[in-house]
Amino acid sequence: MFLRMILKTLARQKSKMLMIAFTVVLGVSLSTAMINVMLGVGDKVNRELKVYGANINVKHKDAAIMGELYGLGVNDKFLYEEDALKLKTIFWGFNIIDFAPILESKIILTAPGKNLRAEVPINGTWIEKHAILQTGEELNTGLRALRTWWDVKGEWISENEADLNSVMIGNSLASKYNINVGDALRLSSNNGVVKNVIVKGIYNDGGNADEAVLTNLTTAQELLNLSGKISSIEVSALTTPDNDLARKAAQNPSSLSAEEYETWYCTAYVSAICHQIQEVVRDGVARAVRQVAESEGTILNKTTLLMILITILSSIGSALAISNLITASVIERSQELGLLKALGAYNYQIILLVLAEVMLTGLAGGIVGYFLGIAFAQIIGQTVFGSYIEIAQVVILIVGIILFLVTIAGSIPAIRYLMALKPTEVLHGK
Amino acid sequence: MGNNSRKKMYLRMITSSLIRRASRLIIAVLAIAIGATILSGLVTIYYDIPEQLGREFRSYGANLIILPSGDFGITRADIDKLKNLIGREKIVGLAPYRYQTVKINEQPYLLAGTDLHEAKQNSPFWYIEGDWQNVMIGREIAETLDLNIGDTFTVKGVKYGEQAEASKQNLSAEENKTRDFGSQNFSKKLQVKGIVTTGGAEEGFIFSDMALLNEMIADENFKADVLECSIVANAEELNELTNKISEHIPNLSPKAVRRLTQSQDIVLGKLQALVLLVTIVVLIITMISVYTTMTAMVAERRKEIALKKALGAENKFVIGELLGEGILLGFIGGAAGVFLGFEFALRVSLNVFGRGINFQWALIPITIIIFIAITVIASILPVRHVMDIHPAIVLKGE
Repeated sequence: MFLRMILKTLARQKSKMLMIAFTVVLGVSLSTAMINVMLGVGDKVNRELKVYGANINVKHKDAAIMGELYGLGVNDKFLYEEDALKLKTIFWGFNIIDFAPILESKIILTAPGKNLRAEVPINGTWIEKHAILQTGEELNTGLRALRTWWDVKGEWISENEADLNSVMIGNSLASKYNINVGDALRLSSNNGVVKNVIVKGIYNDGGNADEAVLTNLTTAQELLNLSGKISSIEVSALTTPDNDLARKAAQNPSSLSAEEYETWYCTAYVSAICHQIQEVVRDGVARAVRQVAESEGTILNKTTLLMILITILSSIGSALAISNLITASVIERSQELGLLKALGAYNYQIILLVLAEVMLTGLAGGIVGYFLGIAFAQIIGQTVFGSYIEIAQVVILIVGIILFLVTIAGSIPAIRYLMALKPTEVLHGK
Repeated sequence: MGNNSRKKMYLRMITSSLIRRASRLIIAVLAIAIGATILSGLVTIYYDIPEQLGREFRSYGANLIILPSGDFGITRADIDKLKNLIGREKIVGLAPYRYQTVKINEQPYLLAGTDLHEAKQNSPFWYIEGDWQNVMIGREIAETLDLNIGDTFTVKGVKYGEQAEASKQNLSAEENKTRDFGSQNFSKKLQVKGIVTTGGAEEGFIFSDMALLNEMIADENFKADVLECSIVANAEELNELTNKISEHIPNLSPKAVRRLTQSQDIVLGKLQALVLLVTIVVLIITMISVYTTMTAMVAERRKEIALKKALGAENKFVIGELLGEGILLGFIGGAAGVFLGFEFALRVSLNVFGRGINFQWALIPITIIIFIAITVIASILPVRHVMDIHPAIVLKGE
């Protein structure tokens, strides 16, 4: 009988119940979308922040900073090129988005048929290296993705055989010596190795690199007679913003307790990733580039907090709207419920009836709303970040609980109203 | 019956119909207020995002480097002119640097004299062991020279405007001594107050206050080799600014740090798009749900309208009454919501960015008008066929 009554109401009150269901659909889809976006936003923004370039720099432990200060690290301490690929094998290898080994030195630049002779910095690197790891995993990495802010006239050089004799030069160098794209240059090193190269591109970095020549790593190694050697590795990794533990560990990892050490090692703190990189790169010292690493943390924390607050606001908003509508629709039915009371129904029966109706409607609306919300989240993900937002299962639980509480809360004023209902008065139309 | 009493009656009908249904009224106003809160709150935040997040992006450090075009350095007068040109409220930090080569244990190092407070504003990402004050040394130097906080070291160098005498192989010991301790040289004992870790070139510098450096090299004139500025601006604004600076202060040559400006534009653009999209989705959903709530509230009024019509009310009059109610409700709810929304936006801004927020005052009338419109539409649509309502049929309950 109870069931039949519920079904009857649902059928008879179709338009009212549809209205409630519709509001629930809207509210639930909003919360679902916002919570999913909020949970995914850290990861997405973190990836976006990679445009700032490397946040970790690996150098030889004895390579003095003097090189950076006085123009060039002319020293005899080198890392090994083969160690670079090992970066992907560390515990947090998956978080390493991009890296590029760099060999830097100075060479003599001359041009056939031109009155030009200058000693300039040279950087040899992987531009867009395709590599296959021992695990069989394929990998694309290189400097190009680490220099998104470069404005390139002409073209980027590639890893192709043909481009081993092509170079890119910085725009300060180009304008100083009036070099254009397509010009032929001659590079010669102190060892007497000479290479004739073509300028394929001119880049604008806005920094020191504008004075330099950029070549493929192999080209630079042949020129300098340093096969298999590199001076540094630039690494761009997804990291977790530092907290107290990370700061403590950055000072001295051995000061941590065993438990703390494990937490630290298994969290993508920049110091933990540096530590692990040092474990695989022989003679290497990995240092966080604080300008990038620290600022990333700031931006990430702020963005996430902002999204959390917006999510809370919109969730509260939709919760209130749903509960409001439920109250409204129950009160509207006072005449019908008054009649039930007049016919001898107990309060609890009526309350049960109302609750069951509302819950059923809410459930149906909730399910539709959830999927609609996922669609909204994906639209946001695709439009803003061009990638899918991962759907967190926990959202079902969160939204489910919120919806349940909201439905109950919305019914409370209605229930109190029902208890106070005097059948005669209601039916009389007062 | 005069026109006046008609008006009175109209007002009484609206107010009494609202008061009679006090509980419904609360529900309706609540629904509108929620919607208006979300609208005004989110839109306020959206408009303030570029400014607020733009400031956060300043944590990446200086985005404009200014070099002197001539050999004369940058003077205080130049800096004042520059500050006025940029606009003081846009400057997060503006630190002058003067570089001096000094020797510690006969090894050359660079000493940078600066305004330490401004340097901190510029580069919040520096990690300082000890205190951020006179004198700090880079971590590389600390490791090479094995210096800790509190230790002292001696820097030597040549005073401003003097020439260092080149070492000659055939100098006698006596001559060597004059060369090292002559009046053209200086020597000063300094104490390490802080050790700078950045992961970059700064780790090879010694940082001191500009005044201390000037005292050491016996040059009283303020003269900076470079200015590092951190300015709240996007790439385009910064470009305009560099043009303006080179035009108005020709002895300065400004250079935007391309890496920071380009990247900031990309990331900030994405974040803004994110907030915009989120705002749109939230607003659409909120408006619809306000609309449905209102619709649910007025649907039952067919009966009331039918009764009025049966008693002889004209269509015009009935619609006028509905309109009046809608406007009143929309106004009350909208006005309450706008202020709640501003309050919310302010709270968010204080929590997230630690700063107040710029209110878009135009939002007050816009929000109120939007919600009046929604309320009016929601009140009239369900009974839009007022003309077609046949009192007898409706009242009979069919």
